[in-house]
This record gives sequence, structure tokens and C-alpha cells, in this order.
Amino acid sequence: MGLFDKLAGWLGLKKEVNVLCLGLDNSGKTTIINRLKPSNAQAQDIVPTIGFSIEKFKTSSLSFTVFDMSGQGRYRNLWEHYYKEGQAIIFVIDSADKLRMVVAKEELDTLLNHPDIKHRRIPILFFANKMDVRDALSSVKVSQLLCLENIKDKPWHICATDALKGEGLQEGVDWLQDQMTQSNQNNQNMRS
Amino acid sequence: MELSSDAGKWLDAHYDPVAGLYTFSPCMDLADLNGDGENRLLVGDLGSGSLGMKLKVYRGTALSSESALLDLPTGLVSFFMDLHEPRVPAVAVASGPCVYIYKNLRPYFKFTLPGLDVNSLEQDVWQQAREGQIDPLSLKEMLESIRNKADVPLSVRSLSFLSLEPSEMDEFVQLHKQQPVKRQTVITCIQTLKKSTSDDDGVSCLVIGTESCHVYVLDPEAFIILSKMVLPSAPTMMNVTGQYDVEFRVTVACRNGSIYVLRRESEKPKYCIELSSHPVGLVRVGKNLVVGGNDESLHGFTQKGKKLWKISLPAPITTMATMDLPTRGFQAVLVGLANCEVHLYRDKNLLSTIRTPDAVTSICFGRYGREDGTLIMATKGGGLLVKILKRTAAFEDKDSTPGPPLTQSVRLNTHKKTKLYVDQMMRERESGTVMHRAFQMDLSRLRLATAKAYLKALESSLTPMSSSLSEPLKMNAVVQGLGPSFNCSFHHTGLSLVTKEEHWLL
Ligand SMILES: Nc1nc2c(ncn2[C@@H]2O[C@H](COP(=O)(O)OP(=O)(O)O)[C@@H](O)[C@H]2O)c(=O)[nH]1
Ligand SMILES: [Mg+2]
Repeated sequence: MGLFDKLAGWLGLKKEVNVLCLGLDNSGKTTIINRLKPSNAQAQDIVPTIGFSIEKFKTSSLSFTVFDMSGQGRYRNLWEHYYKEGQAIIFVIDSADKLRMVVAKEELDTLLNHPDIKHRRIPILFFANKMDVRDALSSVKVSQLLCLENIKDKPWHICATDALKGEGLQEGVDWLQDQMTQSNQNNQNMRS
Repeated sequence: MELSSDAGKWLDAHYDPVAGLYTFSPCMDLADLNGDGENRLLVGDLGSGSLGMKLKVYRGTALSSESALLDLPTGLVSFFMDLHEPRVPAVAVASGPCVYIYKNLRPYFKFTLPGLDVNSLEQDVWQQAREGQIDPLSLKEMLESIRNKADVPLSVRSLSFLSLEPSEMDEFVQLHKQQPVKRQTVITCIQTLKKSTSDDDGVSCLVIGTESCHVYVLDPEAFIILSKMVLPSAPTMMNVTGQYDVEFRVTVACRNGSIYVLRRESEKPKYCIELSSHPVGLVRVGKNLVVGGNDESLHGFTQKGKKLWKISLPAPITTMATMDLPTRGFQAVLVGLANCEVHLYRDKNLLSTIRTPDAVTSICFGRYGREDGTLIMATKGGGLLVKILKRTAAFEDKDSTPGPPLTQSVRLNTHKKTKLYVDQMMRERESGTVMHRAFQMDLSRLRLATAKAYLKALESSLTPMSSSLSEPLKMNAVVQGLGPSFNCSFHHTGLSLVTKEEHWLL
């Protein structure tokens, strides 16, 4: 049973929840998503668009959209197009790639300032991945370098992960699950 | 503020002011050494003094390996020498008369330049010294006379002998006289040239420039000399494009202050660019050359040597490099300046100014790690500085060079041409000849009328002429205008004191 099967069942949602999984290329998104995939999930389609690729897959109630935030800007508007539909974000960082930490920060800032994200209280889960690599940065150091303390208007959480072994992923998924049920309840309260 | 304008384009990825990296641009290169898609930085470190010359490899922000070099490196390039799997590039380090080839960062092969001809007289003299026929002092005299006369220069051994004090000479002769005299040149610059394909991972030849004014092309696998070309002066910087088997172009800046272009199948330079100052930087942008002069200037040339532009820089140039971003089709020139700035130029336009904590001595732009737009700089104090071009950065061309003021091209708000004016113009264009004739006719009539009046005045003794010499009178008539009405002005100049002007409207 995949990690998210529980989440989906527990939520008992009719509507599907759309999770965006983003990060620089090589940060470990595909590896993580494969770990999270429920046993019955099928890779829906891998769209090999020119210049960047989007992976999508679906379970009974969750749909994931995964893409690399790489390339020199040209295809940016293609992936930004997906922001609107996202109800939760998983942002993956390669904690061993110190050189590109500034690039990850730049991409995160651009994401947070995008009109389709900026004013929404949408939960963000950070995976400081590759914690097994010898001189990888700690999750505390990563959150410092990304200035996560400046995110005031969105719930966020960071955890160190080793996607190859699957370590640390559960903690993050549990947190995301909490956030989603909370916001779901809030919505229902508002409706009633 | 200017600072913020360049901070808007570059991300500060790394700065280590005490990296202990002493190098210059020809000794830096980027390559995927392990074939894992992650580029490493290769540096031929000059060390300080005569110590600490090293081949260093950086991965990300950390030094991942270093090995000692035997001599000062003059250039470093990575290149594919064969098609063997896995496809990992080799590294060539030029120092002294040799090129050291490394594969998987282990010494693999050493190429030594062929020796040069030795002056036969010099050889004879040393032969005599060996046989004890002459003493060191007469050896000195004979070598000096050879040095002054001969076409073939003396060997390094004889030159060092000549610089000795008489007391040291005997020991030197004893030490060296048994070895044959050799003349060896050294490598001044090294580049790569694709063998037969232009693919990024195509096999490349090494191209080396030497102090003996030669350019050699070496076979990538056997390291035999494929081609030898001659220059009028010693090369200092080189730029190579094309493919050895098809067509290539070696552009060389030489110590005599000129730039020469060598082509395939020509042993001698095809074009020559003479510069007004010594070249200190040479890079190619597309089909054009950008040359930095030691008089704080930057010049643009076509590859055939036609001058395109010249601009002045605020400080002397320390180093130059191409900024090539193929994914965006962007090419420009990075110029390191002694005033702790790095300027980015596209043609003669300044696109970005990067301020650095120390003067930059070495620049390398390309893919580093997994980031395509990485700018790597080594500083004078031995620091390492890495900046990454923002993915959203856009450069706008602004013509920054002084020229005619903008207002010059602003149109003045002049009156519109009236219908009358246009009609008049048409009339003149159509019947110019007729008008001219009419005018001449009228002029003749006027003259005739004047002459008649004059004659009449004379006959009736009205003395139209000034009778006394002390009161000279001059009349000057000017007809202005094209008709139908004319302005006729008569200037009467009397006594050169009073001038009376009359205007007649005819
Ligand atoms: N050591 C280590 N390697 C990882 C980890 N996660 C992913 N990788 C490796 O990193 C590389 C890139 O992973 P991938 O999932 O394709 O990254 P993506 O580009 O973000 O989809 C692959 O070689 C993975 O095996 C991790 O936690 N530790
Ligand atoms: Mg992937």
C-alpha cells in the first residue's frame, strides 16, 4: 500500500486533490513520487513537451503533477499554467547540491510570488532530500538558506529525506494529510 | 543603482576568498569528467612563486582532487581523444615544451615538441670545449660572436653560460659539456579543434602555439603532428573554429601586436589585423572577433579583419572570455577589469556590470554542475567566485557609447509647405529655362534702360558721375527673388562714410 492511500481514504473526498511536486532537476522528485505512488496507480501520461517534461499520475482521489523547474526560462509559462489547479505543493531540494541552493531559492521565491499562488493559503511540504549523501546540508541549514521563516501566510513543513531508502517521507506525508483535512473541515464549516 | 541592476541578473552561488587559486583564463575549463551529467571545474593552478603548481578539480563548491604539476601550466583544455565507452573527456595540460595528457585524472601520455635546429657553429664550439681545446673565456668570446651574427639563435645552455660570472664558468662547462647541445622551444598557448564532426562530444585535435612562432595540430589519438604552420611572431593567444578534416580557422594574437588568421591548407597566415595597441584578450563571438587592447580599449573585427567598432573601457583589461548560452541563442563577451568589475558586452553595448570583491584574473562561463549559465571567476588574491545567471534574466541592448545627442534625430516642428509654395516649385521645375530667359531678357532691358538714362544724363550735363576724386561714389545694384515680383536693392556708397540704401520693388 502506498503512503498516500491512507491519506486519500481518510479524507474521504469526493473531489480529487491536486498535488504539485516541484523542484530543480535531479533533486529526486521522480524517486519520491514513485515511493508515494499507491500500488494501483499508473503513470497516467508522461508528456514529453519540448524542453521540459511533466509527469502525471492519479489515484482514486489524488492527482499528482510533477515537473522540473529547470531550463532557461523559455518554458516557464508552460509549467506555471499548472499552478492554478494545485491544492498542495511538495517542493524537493537536493541538500547535497550547495552550489544550486541559490537557484532553488530563486525558483521558490518566484513560485511564492506567482499570482496563482501568492494569495492562497496552500500548504507547502519541503523535502530536504539526499540526506544520506556525505556532506549534505541539514534540513535546518536548508530552511535557513531558503529563508523559509519568511513564509508567513502559508502552512509549511520541512523534513530531511532519503528517497532511495524512503526515509523521512512518512513524516512529511502525515503533516500534509493534517493540513488537508484541516482545510477541508474549514471549508465544510464555512459551508454549513 | 547599477549594483542592483546586475544583482537582478546573477545569483551569488559561492565565494571563497581564500581558495588559494592562482590562475588565468587559458588554464580553466569545464568538463563532464565522470560522464554523470555533472560538469567539474578544471584548473591549472600556477601556485605562488615556483611552488604549488597543481591540477585542481572542483565539484560544486568543494575541491574534489588535486595533483602536482611539474612545471608552470600555460594552458589547460579538456577534449575527447577517442570514441571509447564510457565517453569521458581527457585533460591536456601544456607546460614548458610538453603537453601532459590525463585520462580519468591519471597521467596517460606526455607529448614533447620536436627539438629545433642547433646552430652548427655553436655545436663546433662546444665540441672544442669538450675536447679541452678552448678555455671558458674563449668559449664565451666565440659564443658571443655567434650570437651577434647567426640566423639560428643560441641554445638555452649557451645563453645561460653567457650570463655567468667568469668565476662560475668553469664549473658550468664541466657540468654540461658532455651532453649534446639542444634547442627546445616552449608552448605558449593550447586549444582544441574538432577532427571531423562538430558534435559536442566529437573527437578533437590539440592545437598548440609555440615560442618558436609555430602552430602545430596534433592527432588526438597518436599525438603525431598533423600540420605545422608558421607565424611572423610568437603567438600568445589563440582561437580555433571549424573541423580539421573539413575547414578550420586559427586566429592568433602575436607578440608583435598583430593578429593573424591561419586556414586549412595554408602554411602561412591568410589575413592580418594590425592593432594600435597590444592585444591582451581575444575571443570569438559568432563570426566576429573581439579583441582587448592594453590601452583600455575593446575592438570588434570581422573574421577577415575588417574593423567594426571600438570602445574605451574605464580600466585596464585583466582577462576576457566568451559567454555562450546556446539554449537561449545568446553570445556575449565578458571582460574582467582592474577596477574590480566584470563587464558584459554584446558588440559594443554594455549589458551588465558585475562588481567583484577583488580584481578578476580568470573567467570561465558555461555549464558547471547541472547549471548551464554559470560564471566562474578566480581573483587576484586567490579567491574563487561563482555566479549563476538567473533563469529569468533578460539583457537589453542599450547603446552606451557616446555619439550624437538624441535631440539631433528629433524632427523640428517646421511649417507645412503651403499650396502656393508647392505650385511655385512645380512651375519652376517645369519652366525653369523659360524663366531664366525671361530674367536675362529683363536684365538686359534694365541695363539698356540704365545705359539710356545714363547717356541722357550725360547729354543734358546732369553729371551722374562724381566729378571730384575726393568724393567717390559707388553704386551697386542687386536683384533678389525669382519673380513674379523682385526685390532690387541699390547701394550707394559715398565717400565710404555715408551709406544710403534704397530698395525698389519691381
Ligand atoms: N543519494 C541519494 N540519491 C538520490 C536520492 N533521491 C534521488 N536520488 C538520485 O538522484 C538522481 C535524480 O533523481 P530523480 O528522482 O530522477 O530526480 P528528478 O529530476 O527530480 O526527478 C537519481 O540518480 C536518483 O537515484 C536520495 O535521497 N539520496
Ligand atoms: Mg524526474
